Amino acid sequence: METILKVERISKSFGSVVALNNVSFEIFQNEIVGLVGDNGAGKSTLIKILSGNFPPDKGNIYLNGLKINFKSTMDAKKLGIETVYQDLSLCSNLDSISNLFIGREIVKNFMGLKILQKKKMEIKTIEVMRKMDINIPSVKEKVEFLSGGQRQAVSIGRFVGWSQNLALLDEPTAALGVRETGKVLELILKIKEEKKLSIILISHNLQHVFKIADRIIVLRLGNIAGIKERSSTNPDEIVSLMTGAVSIKK
Amino acid sequence: MEITLNSQNTKKFARGILNNIVWIILIFCIVMFSSLIPGYFNIINYINIISNAAFIGILAIAEAICLISGNLDLSIESVAGFSAIFSAWLSGVTAYSSSGLNLNPYITLVLCLVMGITVGYINSFLILRFKINSFLVTLSTYIIIRGVSITLTKGAGISMLPDSFRLVQTIKILNISLIPIIMIVLYIIFYFILENTRLGAHIFIIGGNINAAYNFGINVKGIIYKVFMLSGALAALAGWLLTAKANGANPTMASGMLFEVLAAVILGGVSLQGGFGSLIGVFAGVLVLSSIRSALNIMSISPFITEVIRGSLVLVAILIDSIKKLFFK
Repeated sequence: METILKVERISKSFGSVVALNNVSFEIFQNEIVGLVGDNGAGKSTLIKILSGNFPPDKGNIYLNGLKINFKSTMDAKKLGIETVYQDLSLCSNLDSISNLFIGREIVKNFMGLKILQKKKMEIKTIEVMRKMDINIPSVKEKVEFLSGGQRQAVSIGRFVGWSQNLALLDEPTAALGVRETGKVLELILKIKEEKKLSIILISHNLQHVFKIADRIIVLRLGNIAGIKERSSTNPDEIVSLMTGAVSIKK
Repeated sequence: MEITLNSQNTKKFARGILNNIVWIILIFCIVMFSSLIPGYFNIINYINIISNAAFIGILAIAEAICLISGNLDLSIESVAGFSAIFSAWLSGVTAYSSSGLNLNPYITLVLCLVMGITVGYINSFLILRFKINSFLVTLSTYIIIRGVSITLTKGAGISMLPDSFRLVQTIKILNISLIPIIMIVLYIIFYFILENTRLGAHIFIIGGNINAAYNFGINVKGIIYKVFMLSGALAALAGWLLTAKANGANPTMASGMLFEVLAAVILGGVSLQGGFGSLIGVFAGVLVLSSIRSALNIMSISPFITEVIRGSLVLVAILIDSIKKLFFK
């Protein structure tokens, strides 16, 4: 299997709090890796480092064998790393089209001005929403008037629309009902196959992780507590790794 | 589910009315004043209302852009005031209290614009580099620049400027001077920028959710620099036009305009929380204030009462903004 992402001995501290301590792992092509851990295990910190929000204090990251050094989230996006943030990162004052296209608006140059191509963006938005099979009253509706599930859909829409190499999904089903959650999990599998993506999925819900992940990385207090193949582990073992009930070198 | 949908729709409807309440107020004002005040219902008066709205109008564009980006620029009034006295000082014919440089008025315009852009740069530098609230930064520059204006001529006014300075006032199209036409052109340009360009879209995104802007790689700092530099340039232009219209300037020019500008902008539906507003509404807000000012003038109401009315209008505008926030979130 080809390695797409290699994380090598990454550490990150915030003041005296060590969020990540010498974390190393690899992500292979076209696989879904569940990233699990209790609150404060360092999952979100790891995701934010990988999506370019801030750099690690120590350690290296390689994408397709090349060492990468993100200066901003834009750099990560240019390399085809797309993130669905836990807080959804939506502008409730804007419509679904604008939200889908934040930072990647389709524009035409005219006398130094970057004119928005609204029609093109609308068509693409409708296409993405249709692919997700999620009903939104209108893509021109302000996001603040959408339901929780619909908002989450807009946020996931960025993953559906833009991810190329690697997608980082931070709690993508947190605001969804049971039926919608099932749909989103299926969607993740479908998009993964369609685009031959690698996906890191963060979830509190082990059931979801076991449903779609190929491997599971367990973080505990900033350290890797274990990396398991789904087929050779069970939820009980993962929970014990998360809580530290089983030693790492079992 | 049905009920929540309905209440969502009611909410949206009520929100829509509150967002466009400025038009109701504008129509109410014009109709009421026109029918009650003798001499108000008159084309010349209407032209005056628009002409007199020009300065507040241009400053309101600047403030609206800042507020939409989630910032506040209090310094615009002082920048306009300094631009007014600075341009008169540079181009004044008499050596008394002016520089004696006798500069071409249009060179002074360029210098004023450079000054306004510089102030905008300094404002945004302080806000971004030291992470200070824009209110506090621009409050300081507001006071400092007013002080600089008074120091420049030691408090004296400057009059009798070259005739070429007054061209924007003396050239008339259909009996309307160029100044209000410049304002209207600026409204069209900036409306287009806000609604149809990437810069405009990014200003709304930053005002709506600055974290999302960072997460999706928008150059937040660059946009905020641009917003404040545009704001400074517009304020400087307004000040230069003030001098052109008055054929002279004094160091306290434009004082008091800030609150009228804020009233117009907030009344026009721009949210103090950022991310929300349209220049069409702002334009209506500016006309509301101008029509009230005109009514007070025609009725020759004491200027002291005018202050009370101005203040009350700011209060009403802020109340409307708060009601939106309280009941329709």
